[in-house]
Amino acid sequence: MMSSPDLTDLLRASRPSAPADLRARVREIAAAETARTPWPRLRLPGRRIALVALPAAAALALSSAGVLGLARSDRSTEAVREQAATDQAAPEATPGKEFGGVAGGADVAPTPGRAQRVTATLTLEVADSDAVSRAAQQALVVTRSLGGHVLSASVSTGEEGSATLTVRVPVGKVQDAIVRFSALGKITSQQITIDDLQESLDALERRASSVRAQIALIAARLETEPLDPETRARLETRLRTLRSELRELRRGIAATNAEARFATIQLMVLTPGALGVVPVPSRLDRTLDEALNALVWEGVIALAIAIVAAPFALVALAVWFGRSLYRRREEERLLAT
Amino acid sequence: MHAVTLETPRPRESSRPTFAAVAEACLDDVFGYLLYLTKNRTLAEDLTGETFETALRRWRRFDPRRGTPQAWLLAIARSTALDWFRADARRRRREERAGATDPREVHEPAFGEGFSPALEEGLRELTAGEREVVALRVVLDLDGDETARLLGITPTAVSTRLHRALAKLEERMREHDVVA
Repeated sequence: MMSSPDLTDLLRASRPSAPADLRARVREIAAAETARTPWPRLRLPGRRIALVALPAAAALALSSAGVLGLARSDRSTEAVREQAATDQAAPEATPGKEFGGVAGGADVAPTPGRAQRVTATLTLEVADSDAVSRAAQQALVVTRSLGGHVLSASVSTGEEGSATLTVRVPVGKVQDAIVRFSALGKITSQQITIDDLQESLDALERRASSVRAQIALIAARLETEPLDPETRARLETRLRTLRSELRELRRGIAATNAEARFATIQLMVLTPGALGVVPVPSRLDRTLDEALNALVWEGVIALAIAIVAAPFALVALAVWFGRSLYRRREEERLLAT
Repeated sequence: MHAVTLETPRPRESSRPTFAAVAEACLDDVFGYLLYLTKNRTLAEDLTGETFETALRRWRRFDPRRGTPQAWLLAIARSTALDWFRADARRRRREERAGATDPREVHEPAFGEGFSPALEEGLRELTAGEREVVALRVVLDLDGDETARLLGITPTAVSTRLHRALAKLEERMREHDVVA
């Protein structure tokens, strides 16, 4: 009877040896090694490629983001400078254009002799909350000194102070008022609107004249002509209606004239914090921001590519996996015989 | 009997052997493995030649840090033999459809000298997978891990398959002794 150790010994002892002709053939094959081209073939194994390609891609992405960040921060610097120049130019140019008192731009000033509704909105920036209070008080003093009055006033102090005043000043002094208000701080915005009221005023006055004429005519008939009771009653009713309408017309004319006599000015005084002014970031901050933006875009593009390529990669993976499985099964079947 | 074996420790890139030296050292291993796998001496010789031709073509791709030349050559030999098995299976199917008989079915001593008729018969009755693991683990004395890597299975599966193969072989030998 044979045991396993005996069997393995027997198998090892009968280890096959290649026949001489096969040995000679293999030596012949091996001899061809020296006859081959000495040029080594370029060999790029997948892992080595990945080891080099991945850090290289990351370095490329980072460096391109850095270059883009630097380039764009230059542009950002120019844009900031241009904006700053515009901001500086605006307070000087705007009031002069809008109001002739500063730079002779009387073209948008109220026209003397015509009834006009003048409204202006002015936003001023001052250094701090205390300056807000001072500017608000000065504005009230200016308003009163020009013969105007305050419609509403709201002043809040604190870390980010602000004041909102609505005042009315005589139309003839509106330019003076704007110029004096502008001196209370740095102008950040202003708007002036002029609506012509003369046409509606003329229409009201024409209608009033007509009504007055009709009243005079009816009054004369009632006094001079013998009228039957029915006609007299109808004319008296008509006369009352016309007199009532005349009163309304006079009130309208008076209100329009009053509106045309005073201009409404809304003045806002704010600190930089209340204005939401963001300090200009440094060159380094801008570079980092732009580089980060570039990186985000690179990531978005990489993600898009990955999304597009993913189905193909999955199909390829499934094919590879299926093929491996099939070959494994086939091997098992072949080796089972 | 040829007794040249390669050192199992993995050589470094600087000590890369020549193909001729590797071929000389591993020829018997490759031939023995293929003989066990195919149980056909002539076929084993053909496949051995083919294996070394393929190996020469791929020699520049061989990385000594990733394994011994012996394991690398045995993997090529296995792949070459499996390709032949596939082609043979297709050929057999074609012949079956055509009603032809396979002349290879005639039994002739395959393993050659040194094998008793009982051992030869016992080996014949094993499956190719079982003979393969016997060749690698017993005849070529590869360790379990290396064999597992070569066959693409776990070391446990290698042990199981080897145990089963030896048990079957013992059984055949015992039956032969009883009959004799």
